[in-house]
Amino acid sequence: MDLGLNVWAAFELSTLPQQVINGLLLGAIYALIALGYTMVYGVLRLINFAHGEVFMLGAYTALFASWFLGYGKGSTLETSGPANLMILLIASMCVCGIVGVAIERFAYRPMRSQPRIAALITAIGVSLLIQYGGALVLPIAPPPSINEKVNPYRGVVTMNLVGGDPQLLEGYEKAKIEFETAEKEWQAARDAKAPDEAIRTLRDKKNDADRTMGDLQRRMDNSGVKIRIPQGQLIMFGTTIVLMIMLTYLVMFTAVGRAMRAVSHDFDSASLMGINVGKIVTITFLIGSMLASAGAMMNATFLGTPLTTFFGVMPGVKAFVAAVLGGIGNIPGAVLGGFLMGIAETAVIWAGYGQYKDAIAFIILIVVLLFRPGGLLGSAKVEKV
Amino acid sequence: MKFFAVRAGSIALAVAACFALQSFAVGKGDLFFRLVFLAGLYVTLAVSLNLINGITGQFSIGHAAFYMVGAYGAGYMANNYAGSWGLKGPLLMLVLLLIGAVVAAVAGLVVGLPSLRLRGDYLAVVTLGFGEIIRIFVQNSPPLGGAYGLTVDAQFKFKYVWMVWLLAILCIAVCRNLLKSAHGLPFLAVREDEIASSAMGVNVTRVKVTAFVIGSAFAGAAGAMLANFDGFISPTSFPMELSFTILTMVVLGGTGSITGSALAGGVLFYIPEYLRDLKPVSGSSLVAAVIAVIAAVYVVKRIADHYHGDKGKRAALYLGTIIAGVALQMILAAVFKNVPSLANANFEASKLRMVIFSSTLIILMLLRPQGVFAHHEFSWSWVQRLFGKKVPTTAVSV
Amino acid sequence: MSLLHLDKATIKFGGLIAVNEVSFEIKTGQLFGLIGPNGAGKTTCFNLITGVYKPTSGSIKFEGREISGTPPNKIAHLGIARTFQNIRLFGALSVLENVVVGGFLRHRTGLGSAIAYLPPAIKETEELKQDAMRLLEVVDLAHVANVRSRDLSYGMQRRLEIARAMATQPKLLLLDEPAAGMNPQEKMDLTGTVRRIRDEHDKTVLLIEHDMRFVMELCENIVVLDHGEEIAQGPPSEIRNDPKVIEAYLGEAV
Repeated sequence: MDLGLNVWAAFELSTLPQQVINGLLLGAIYALIALGYTMVYGVLRLINFAHGEVFMLGAYTALFASWFLGYGKGSTLETSGPANLMILLIASMCVCGIVGVAIERFAYRPMRSQPRIAALITAIGVSLLIQYGGALVLPIAPPPSINEKVNPYRGVVTMNLVGGDPQLLEGYEKAKIEFETAEKEWQAARDAKAPDEAIRTLRDKKNDADRTMGDLQRRMDNSGVKIRIPQGQLIMFGTTIVLMIMLTYLVMFTAVGRAMRAVSHDFDSASLMGINVGKIVTITFLIGSMLASAGAMMNATFLGTPLTTFFGVMPGVKAFVAAVLGGIGNIPGAVLGGFLMGIAETAVIWAGYGQYKDAIAFIILIVVLLFRPGGLLGSAKVEKV
Repeated sequence: MKFFAVRAGSIALAVAACFALQSFAVGKGDLFFRLVFLAGLYVTLAVSLNLINGITGQFSIGHAAFYMVGAYGAGYMANNYAGSWGLKGPLLMLVLLLIGAVVAAVAGLVVGLPSLRLRGDYLAVVTLGFGEIIRIFVQNSPPLGGAYGLTVDAQFKFKYVWMVWLLAILCIAVCRNLLKSAHGLPFLAVREDEIASSAMGVNVTRVKVTAFVIGSAFAGAAGAMLANFDGFISPTSFPMELSFTILTMVVLGGTGSITGSALAGGVLFYIPEYLRDLKPVSGSSLVAAVIAVIAAVYVVKRIADHYHGDKGKRAALYLGTIIAGVALQMILAAVFKNVPSLANANFEASKLRMVIFSSTLIILMLLRPQGVFAHHEFSWSWVQRLFGKKVPTTAVSV
Repeated sequence: MSLLHLDKATIKFGGLIAVNEVSFEIKTGQLFGLIGPNGAGKTTCFNLITGVYKPTSGSIKFEGREISGTPPNKIAHLGIARTFQNIRLFGALSVLENVVVGGFLRHRTGLGSAIAYLPPAIKETEELKQDAMRLLEVVDLAHVANVRSRDLSYGMQRRLEIARAMATQPKLLLLDEPAAGMNPQEKMDLTGTVRRIRDEHDKTVLLIEHDMRFVMELCENIVVLDHGEEIAQGPPSEIRNDPKVIEAYLGEAV
């Protein structure tokens, strides 16, 4: 592996802000899924391996909802509006909330008195069952994706942080005129059925001009610092932040949230203090699943990712790593971990090692755990002797 | 010396049995031959993971990584260097096996050392991550064949079923010997309570690393066998699910029980292989089966939780439930035949195999979370007790 | 000769000073008591001596050798063994096996010999088991040698902890509330057992206890801790009448 000096050579510093933004956008989705892992771990000390599958089902629900609204294959409908997006979002959240609660009720609850490893194996089983069982009944080949017409926000928001070099701009304008003239001359010669040789010369001239122009354009683009964000992703980010704020409010300032924190602090004592632990666990699964499905719906709609039943595996694993990175069981930790993970992944792609983007998550995790065995914001509990 | 006579005798017996297995399997067609080979591999993998997870109480869910490291180590060495060694046949395979074991043991050391500060779930994530890192790096490493996989030279293809079974027996013997001698107790003590162990003078770090190194060495040796048996390995041969499968074998067999891991390894790997060749299943019988299984599991679970009567009666109740379940499936299937949308849908058995595998997993966990064998080990006195003989329980069981 | 010597041993957890400049000296063959109200830092003191924690400052010498900062397993090898306040047995192991774990630090055969199950390892295992059986007789648990330790009664578990610690053949035995949760009869028996351990097995014993009568009757020398500070030291007769001790146990003198 040549992870040598050329890592640095690959960094194009003017694209740094864009990369940070990309990282944050990606990280927001990881954070949203990581919250579900961390909340469930907090109350049950269980790694809910099926969480990634809930994410996958959320995306499929959005797909079916879009079909129901008439945006199937070859749909002739016009671009939809925000109301349809809300329908998709609500449908995903409802269906996944129910799925999450059902998983808890029928698979995890009977395991509660058993050793944790048994519950973990059950979680792995549920995850595999949904992946492969889902493949029997859900459309997977060819992988369907949500019709892009569902998404009304297909524009790109561009922000110029630092303008381009004016000299380059001038040169570019000149080159552009040259190219256009050359192209016209060539076309005219062709239309006039000029001798082959003359046409060829003109064509070469046009091609040269094109190349010069393209080169200048690239240099001009790189000389400035700008950020381009697809509108859809911006909305995705905004929604994620709003959901996180709602969650924070719920956990910190409501009776249910207080009960949740109590249960996560000490499961048994909480039940002795009259908290309906079963209900709190159900609510935790409900909220965690709804957050994941919101992420899934937005991912599927705004990015148009093709869906298979393994759609949730990689995001699930990475979000889980994000949760552990931040300190599993710790809600701000999950968000921090998610963002870090997103930024790290973009940074690796930026450095030209895109093929290692799935490995970087784990490398960071291992390094962090070596120095902070409880994760970034978590505390490794010291056992009382 | 009686001891050495018995020892030599049992080794000879094991070797003879393995060769007998080879000559028996060789006549039954390629598929069967490969199945016998795979069974040996999975027994080794399950028993070696049991040493780490079951006996020492660590929580590794990345065992496939060591298997992979061993496979690639042996495959790479065979392709690039083995030609000049002047070795042939079993001897060469043995050297390659040792290479696989050593490479994997080093990997085990690398994972084991830093992971010692971590407990439980955190260790689990690190082992999982280690597996993924290895897989991704192999995928991007041209000398190892990258994503296309590594083809082992045809001259290094060895179809030694006997050797893989000897490996499995060796792995079982190592674990059993460890538990029978006082040396195994620190391992169990670390599983039970690390702080108390260290207060009793047990070097917890060393015990954990030893377990990781021995466990991964066996996995690596198994990997070397695979690489030279199939002659081709690729990163997709070692997915994350494989680690889960091995873990499942250990847990289903009964965490800590060598017998359980060995049997689960030998049986469980076969379920997906068996289901691969089944005829397509119609939608009506599939839906009927799902309903019947859910109903039967529910009833069995209720019996297990609420019926505290005579053992024999309880077993009769279980049996009755299972029969009723089968009957229910048949009746429902006949009823659903009249629903055209169900009757016309066909599901290929190959697609069902992972579904059945994962359902089995969930159902077994629901009904018997401590695993089939729980913490019991196979012993002759246990067999005798099973057949109603009264044998004093002298053996100190673990 | 002084066996264990704490000199101004101090440990802080964040802002909390759990043990503050505690100094005492235990001579070989003594029965030494460490008492104090809840939260006084007694168990933390034990954790300092056995290497679970490293002191923030001060020194701990065992047989004249500095041991602060040495890992627990090495300290066990040096000859200090302990029991735990909240019983920490190896629950799934049998009573006998628990004691064998304690004796295992004296093993001579290598792991290879055990894995190959060679005669030296087999013989050693047998020897360790026999040693363990003898210890079980001392604490009167020989009849339950093959029972899972988790299934023992509370008093039996406490005695098993003592046997397990004894199996390491320590020079100094630390007992953390050995009589907690025992009824008067069991306590009486325990007094006898501890005396026998000292007299017949030549151990030095340091014990933490809440039950004043138990300590006063058993120990020859006592250190009293309160809020991490050492407030008194001396033979039981002096401690009994020390005003500071009375204050610590009964609150401010009226």
